[in-house]
Amino acid sequence: MQINSRPAAASPAAEPGSHRATSSVMESWKEERTRSLEDNEMSLPSLAAAYTTILRGLGEDPQRQGLLKTPWRAATAMQFFTKGYQEKIIDVLNDAIFDEDHDEMVIVKDIDMFSMCEHHLVPIFGRVHIGYLPNKRVLGLSKLARIVEIYSRRLQVQERLTKQIAVAITEALQPTGVGVVVEATHMCMVMRGVQKMNSKTVTSTMLGVFREDPKTRDEFLTLIRS
Amino acid sequence: MNSHCNGKVGETAVEEFHCNNGFNDLIIDTKKSAVVHRKHEVSRKETEDESRLPVLEAAYTSILRHLGEDTDRDGLLRTPLRAAKAIQFLTKGYHETIDDILNNAIFDEDHDEMVIVKDIDVFSLCEHHLVPFFGKVHIGYIPNKKVVGLSKLARIVEIFSRRLQVQERLTKQIAMGICDALQPKGVAVVVEAAHMCMVMRGVQKMNSRTVTSTMLGVYLEDPKTREEFLALAMRA
Repeated sequence: MQINSRPAAASPAAEPGSHRATSSVMESWKEERTRSLEDNEMSLPSLAAAYTTILRGLGEDPQRQGLLKTPWRAATAMQFFTKGYQEKIIDVLNDAIFDEDHDEMVIVKDIDMFSMCEHHLVPIFGRVHIGYLPNKRVLGLSKLARIVEIYSRRLQVQERLTKQIAVAITEALQPTGVGVVVEATHMCMVMRGVQKMNSKTVTSTMLGVFREDPKTRDEFLTLIRS
Repeated sequence: MNSHCNGKVGETAVEEFHCNNGFNDLIIDTKKSAVVHRKHEVSRKETEDESRLPVLEAAYTSILRHLGEDTDRDGLLRTPLRAAKAIQFLTKGYHETIDDILNNAIFDEDHDEMVIVKDIDVFSLCEHHLVPFFGKVHIGYIPNKKVVGLSKLARIVEIFSRRLQVQERLTKQIAMGICDALQPKGVAVVVEAAHMCMVMRGVQKMNSRTVTSTMLGVYLEDPKTREEFLALAMRA
């Protein structure tokens, strides 16, 4: 019951000529398990109990005024931070694909992204820049941001997040090429561990013509930088 | 344990600052209440951390399962342990006291001009949602024959910020901590932070910042001194 399994096993990125995803990627997409609102309701008491245990284990007094309702608030917050598990790409995209005779690059940049590090359960935040070359089909622009939301509101690893976004767009549109760049700050590195305040992690996935043609890739990278 | 600053201890001392003219008169009262404050300060011993890990780990495993995740998948196998250690680190302020870090670094110096340490990065956890908030602290004080090692101001920030906090209380605790230790003529603390509970969820306002300040002693009484501090510390 893997929600966040890497589609990387037979990734389209491995075949430069084809931007049509392999069947294993299609299946992982279909296998997306959705958590329902009822699941959320039912899990809330257990989550709250777990948070109460954590507060006690940290030496705090869960009965003091500021902490009285914290287990419930923290549980609801955590469910919000992982609401990507409740959503399916199909639902978000179904109607917003349009036939358009446009074959120039489309870029949506500086999309604010918030995720959770799956190793330390601490926030990751940053920006996503997406570019694609349509092949007779364009996508409603906000749908690119919604795809980012679905995959980022999960327990994630930045590399996987970047690839999932790129693959989802490829699947939906079969464009000539897709480029995704994610630039983020990891609180697990800033607030603890090495404690490097200003470091940023940048990952990218280039598919199709963005991978094959350096000029296209350059154009994309220049446009997102300005 | 944090409630001590909400209760009578902190309030009485601050009220007295308002009522009386001289800052120095209040030293004794502050010290008395501060001693009570300090005695109760350590609610968690560092040595207990290891023994509490299994409980925290079990709680995190439960959380992961109830969020619908698969705790046996590769990326999540050791996450409960890592998350438990992480949150212990993020709340390590509970096992540190002002006395421990300050004891040796107070020096007699005939200096009575303002000393400012600004742009101290601060990271804390919102006690309402258990989500980080972070930003910068600017501290200014006017010594009264006693100066403190500069890094100790940053260490005081660390002690109080590495806890489950509310920004208002954090600001006041830093100011009171410095007062207790040095009995200066005045202390000013400004904290400017971004709260992830507002940015990542809820209202989702990316660029909002919360600013809180505590002015004690001559910073409270004399507007010019306060102005000088704000001009020097908040300069871009």
